[in-house]
Amino acid sequence: MKKWLMPALQTVFVGLLVVSFYATSWFGEQYVLRAEPYDPFDPFYGEYVMLQYPDLDAPAGIRDGTIYFTLTEADDGYAVIDRIEERPFFGAINGYKYDRRVVAPQLENFYVEQGRGPELEAAVDLEVTIDVAPWGSIRPVSIAPREE
Amino acid sequence: MEWDRKLAQWRSEGLIDQEAVERIQAFETRQPKKRKLPLLLIIGLIFFALAVFSFIAANWQAIPPIAKVGMVVLLMWIFYVLAHFSEKKHFGHPIIFRILGYTMFGASLVVAGQAFHLGTSSSIVPWALFIAALAHFFTWRHTAFTIISFISGISILSAAAPGVGFIEWGLFIAVTLAWFFLSKDGPAMIFSWLLLLGSGFLVWSIWDIDSPLVPIWTLFALVPLMLIVPKDKQKLLAPLYLITGGIQLVTFLAIRGESDMRFVELNMIESVILAVVGAGIFVLAFFRFRSLMWLGVLGFVGFMLYDETAIALAIVAELTALAYLIIAQRQDKPLAMGFVYFIVVQFVIYVIYAWERLDMSLFFLIGAILLFVLSGIAWWLNRKKEGAVS
Repeated sequence: MKKWLMPALQTVFVGLLVVSFYATSWFGEQYVLRAEPYDPFDPFYGEYVMLQYPDLDAPAGIRDGTIYFTLTEADDGYAVIDRIEERPFFGAINGYKYDRRVVAPQLENFYVEQGRGPELEAAVDLEVTIDVAPWGSIRPVSIAPREE
Repeated sequence: MEWDRKLAQWRSEGLIDQEAVERIQAFETRQPKKRKLPLLLIIGLIFFALAVFSFIAANWQAIPPIAKVGMVVLLMWIFYVLAHFSEKKHFGHPIIFRILGYTMFGASLVVAGQAFHLGTSSSIVPWALFIAALAHFFTWRHTAFTIISFISGISILSAAAPGVGFIEWGLFIAVTLAWFFLSKDGPAMIFSWLLLLGSGFLVWSIWDIDSPLVPIWTLFALVPLMLIVPKDKQKLLAPLYLITGGIQLVTFLAIRGESDMRFVELNMIESVILAVVGAGIFVLAFFRFRSLMWLGVLGFVGFMLYDETAIALAIVAELTALAYLIIAQRQDKPLAMGFVYFIVVQFVIYVIYAWERLDMSLFFLIGAILLFVLSGIAWWLNRKKEGAVS
């Protein structure tokens, strides 16, 4: 029976990974973030857009490095930082700050269809829709040019 | 059939009698017939597989994420099932199918990462691949999985390097140590040892320090492992320590000789502590495993790095190379490792001190003569060792 243990465990692991992504959407809240792209290509994963978020600004007094933050919707409908700390707290997104810019590992890049990267890069003003789970994990859902 | 025709031929020539012919015929008809797939069917299957894959590739973006992952997981199961039947029915190599199954597991994680936008900085995928490779190794005990485990371990180290945390680092060391002690297998011990050595380099990233002595500290930290492993494994691992120590000394010599080392912070207190620990390792090796006494020399690298001319390092490298060769020759031990080290030391010293002072053609001419002389010494030593009489 041990020969079936590995494929079974591996299937369970892939299943849990996929369920964890869906769970973020099932139990989480949706936010739309203003985003700006730059466009590299990863030979392993394919084409993706590297993103930075102009609205995710760290207030003065927060040091560069690992930070923890939550989001809230501003009056214009786009997400901004609600609470930011240098120590972890429940529901916080785990990210890091460098020179006022705040980013989380899962917000940094967005995989897109082959050939769509340059188009999004040319659009410059983008919006990214994400789901944020109550426990702080993120699931990027969609990316599109921003119309303001 | 070919054998039928041959039998008739041998019978007509009188080489065998009718009774033998009948016995052979009875034997051959009892043999299980090899079932061969017709060539057209094989070509058809290949084209069908190509068509399926191109159909999937053409519609890849339209396929829902869950179906994409599901397809790769299904492919993974197909390979494990093939491995099972390959073992049972004796066709192909089960290990190849298992490696393909493992690869498909990796592919399913990559597809899941892409379909659900998992960040590239996440170390979930390398960790899953590492643990799965180790589990494959312990289940089937095949060297192929030793190498795969090593490669996936390296991918964790490189993925974790930019922002590794203390817990992840500790976990990696714990898992690799468990592999080292539980494997009881030479290649697995060597590869896990190399991963432990690599994990030491992450100290630079974890504590954000500029000490150039981290590689030596790591090597020293691995010495106590020799106290725990059985005698036969000590013999297996000892050359690894010496080779790594030799590479480190030559690398320090090359860097110190060719740069001003402004990018690192030299610290006298750290150098003193390193020398004390080096002396301790020298004493420990003297009582427990004498072949590792050479490592004690590395304890003085901290002091020698203060010498901008790198002459101290050059002298120490040269003396250790010569002393090692002489001692190995006297004790009738293999000279190959010592001689390679000796040649590398000569060339590093040659490049450091002669490169800018010589005309290019003269540089290569002297280099060639040096290589010629060293080869002559190697030949002479080898000849002497074998006891040849001219």
